[in-house]
Amino acid sequence: MHALLPDLVLMALAFFAAFSGAGRRRPNLGFHASWIGLLGVLAVYAVRAFALDAAPVDLFGGAWRIDRLGLLWRVVFTLSALCAVLLSRGNFQRRSGGREALTQPGEFFALLLFSTLGGITVVSARELLTLFIGLELATIPLFFLAAWNKRDDSSGEASVKYVAMGGVSSAVMLFGLSYLYGFCGSLSLDALAVRIAAEPDHALLWIGVLFVIAGAGFKLTLFPFHLWAPDVYEGSSTPLAAYLSVGSKSVAIAFLATLVCGPFAAVRETLTPVLLLLAGATTLAGNLGALKQGRLRRFMAWSGVSQAGFLVLALAGPAPLARSSLVFYMFVYAFANYLAFFVFAIVARSRDEGFSSLRGMSREWPALAVLLAISMFSLAGIPPMAGFLGKFGLLASAASGKNFLAVAFMVLNGVIGLYIYLTVLRSAWVDRVADGEALAPLESGRRERIMVWILAAALLLAGIVPFLSQRIVQLLSPH
Amino acid sequence: MNLDSLLLTLVWTLPFAVVGLSLLIPKGNELWVKRLHALGSGLGVLIAAWLTYRLYGRLMVDGAPMGADLRLYAVTRIDWLPSLGISFFTGVDGLSMLLVLLTAIIVFTGVLASWNTGTQVKEFFALLQLLGAGVFGVFISFDLFTFFLFYEMEAVAMYLLIGVWGSGRREYGAMKLTLTLMLGSALVLVGILALWASSGLGTFDLTQLATVRFSPGLQAWVFPVLFVGFAVSAALFPFHTWSPDGHSAAPTAVSMLAAGVMMKLGAYGALRVAMYLCPEGARQWFPVLLYLISFNVVLGAFIAIRHKDLKFITAYSSISHLGLVLLGLAAGTYLGVKGASLQMISHGFLTGLFFAVIGMIYSRTHTRLVDTQSGLMKVMPFLGVAFVIAGFTGLGLPGLSGFVAEATIFIGAFQNPDPQVRILTVLAVLGITTTAVYVVRTANFILHGPFRVDDGHGHVMEKPETSGLTDASGVEKLALTLLIACILGMGLFPGWISRMLDTSLLPMFRALSR
Repeated sequence: MHALLPDLVLMALAFFAAFSGAGRRRPNLGFHASWIGLLGVLAVYAVRAFALDAAPVDLFGGAWRIDRLGLLWRVVFTLSALCAVLLSRGNFQRRSGGREALTQPGEFFALLLFSTLGGITVVSARELLTLFIGLELATIPLFFLAAWNKRDDSSGEASVKYVAMGGVSSAVMLFGLSYLYGFCGSLSLDALAVRIAAEPDHALLWIGVLFVIAGAGFKLTLFPFHLWAPDVYEGSSTPLAAYLSVGSKSVAIAFLATLVCGPFAAVRETLTPVLLLLAGATTLAGNLGALKQGRLRRFMAWSGVSQAGFLVLALAGPAPLARSSLVFYMFVYAFANYLAFFVFAIVARSRDEGFSSLRGMSREWPALAVLLAISMFSLAGIPPMAGFLGKFGLLASAASGKNFLAVAFMVLNGVIGLYIYLTVLRSAWVDRVADGEALAPLESGRRERIMVWILAAALLLAGIVPFLSQRIVQLLSPH
Repeated sequence: MNLDSLLLTLVWTLPFAVVGLSLLIPKGNELWVKRLHALGSGLGVLIAAWLTYRLYGRLMVDGAPMGADLRLYAVTRIDWLPSLGISFFTGVDGLSMLLVLLTAIIVFTGVLASWNTGTQVKEFFALLQLLGAGVFGVFISFDLFTFFLFYEMEAVAMYLLIGVWGSGRREYGAMKLTLTLMLGSALVLVGILALWASSGLGTFDLTQLATVRFSPGLQAWVFPVLFVGFAVSAALFPFHTWSPDGHSAAPTAVSMLAAGVMMKLGAYGALRVAMYLCPEGARQWFPVLLYLISFNVVLGAFIAIRHKDLKFITAYSSISHLGLVLLGLAAGTYLGVKGASLQMISHGFLTGLFFAVIGMIYSRTHTRLVDTQSGLMKVMPFLGVAFVIAGFTGLGLPGLSGFVAEATIFIGAFQNPDPQVRILTVLAVLGITTTAVYVVRTANFILHGPFRVDDGHGHVMEKPETSGLTDASGVEKLALTLLIACILGMGLFPGWISRMLDTSLLPMFRALSR
């Protein structure tokens, strides 16, 4: 049972954060409790995952398993939540990007933590219903978080759109899962795997599989289920957009990987073309959507769509390589995305969140412009940033499955991808502030300054010294 | 780690050390930043030259390897990501050693040629050094992953260098160059991954992959993907348009590096990776590619005649000259491959000199157009002579390095008995004649005749005495003299370079013809 302890601590932390807002005496209590607690739990997960190499533990009659993969995903989820908590701090203290300051931090952090717990449920579940509950727990808190800016119309709009889309996706997913249950007669993933291997061409199975993938596609912003993302990112707050782009996305890909590399492995041959089509279309749609954006958060939403395609691509490879490259990429993606969002948060302190606010950054604050470049190059997959190694892993996974055409298509898409990230750098490096026009000077708090350096160092380090990727591959390779 | 490995590691890590040191220099000491970079890259040249000297001695004792396997020196090998078969594997053979030396010299002279950089000096030189380090990395990597890592690294440094410090349509030129080069490296990545996944060895080690005979079906599509991917950065027609736009917008040192060494990366990769690993694909595809390549040689030269902007002329002349490199490779004879390698080195010096001189002239007259300036010989004789030497090298005057390289390519290409190849070779020789036309015409226009400079902004100078234009400064003379010395040295004493090349080209050629 002690293996479950960190998860329980996280749950207790969520409740504590929720009630910390009730007293109103100590407005900072929720924040400090959340980030310190998250840091502690993250450390425990990281030690258990990377150092202790704990044996898998089965709980609740086999419905809940804590294994290496699950621990690694937990590290990703808590890391993402931790960054989101730290990032959101500024939004509670002052106006940001021309929006009012947020209120009720305690409840905000509590919902964020519940969403994280949802992710943990997804990677621990060994049967369909728990899997579904985890996915819902990861998503539903975010509906409220999207609407946090109560006086802002666009925030409400974002939330409504997100609720509508989320509801539809849950329904689609549940529909698919019910077919899988009907096909198999059991909720257990192991039983499903046996059943699929026995009868891989059954019509019920394929209806179930396709609907489940579509449902997960909503959360992962796969084409053609991606259109909600830009509006929701733009309408909600910066920290939530960051969490949606990393935390929520990693839960969705973990869910998809659980099924595709697990019970669906027996029908890989048939499923691979579907996945590759989705991957190609998603990345192309994301790249094309990002081409003409003028707002940073909308841009990041489209960038996230484009990245999601790469994630799905890796699923076409052999399971161990697919899993390890996905986990590693999500680490890298978390570093790079949060780095970008922290830089944008610094910009949003005194300016609005348009590309034009970045102008002149390379002269005004060269170090920040360099950090932004590190983040963008990592997202574009340019060496020596870790994003290169990450994307290389994803591509290598697909290439191991001999899907060379898809690899070629994705790599060529990467060229458009480079263009879209260069448009950000063009604003920060090449575009100059016109004579006589004055932009408000950039300012930042200590927390933001520390975080950007840590994240950038992580990106460079993970790209140059491959201890992280090597360890992940080692842990997830079959013995 | 023996001394050679140490020296080689030093060559590619020195730029990083210099960048790190330069960050410590407080604001307002731009001159010291420049001095530090000049010192660092000068040291790089000395180390590379010393290593070349040492290697030459060993190569002459050891001779060429007997089989088709490469024999590497100064090897450093560290497991990097063993689970994917990636190791950090660097070393040199004759060819890559000479290219490393070339790169060191171009970086050093490039630093000297950008002595007048005014804005964001620290960032400019830092990026320039990183660009150089990336190029070193490509030439010394024998693991395809690290090879690709370095290969892709420098395309992006170029974007910032051109976009921020360029002139004219800098943003457009930078974006076009970067994206086209990335298109090329995207193709390369596909090829590398395909070879890795199909080899069954689970390694990116070039020397091990070379022992695999990939199936003809695989080679038939991997070879063109790899070759064209690499050749994009050697400005293969029809992917050549990044070169004029990029070069015309780039600051001098970046043009020197881009045309001087980065375009060689493409040719080098085409030889070292594409042809070496997929010989059957190469034999199958060369007849087709030769047609594209002859477009490069002939079209590049003809377009250069029509242009009036000095940088455009030089960019198109580079396209034509790089076409000769590719022609030598695609001819499929040993002399052709050897001429191509000689041309890589010769053209590096030549185009470095060309762009350096043009940048220096432009920084004085503020115009690059041929028809708005004349009689420059009267005020800047040193630059004028350097310009003429660069031009003569380009048209292959005996005694200069261009002759050695181009003559070898033509002889080698003509050795191929296929009448198609012979006809294309004859056409290419005509391209060289065209080179003579634009070189002599341009030199005639801007250097001779009555002195007159019109900078296009209503500022016309007619009298040499009152123009205030000066000849090359001491630093600039040092840069130009070094490049001219290299051109003359290679032109008059090509023997040792040729012998060094033999030791590494013979095994690769054996692989090609097996």
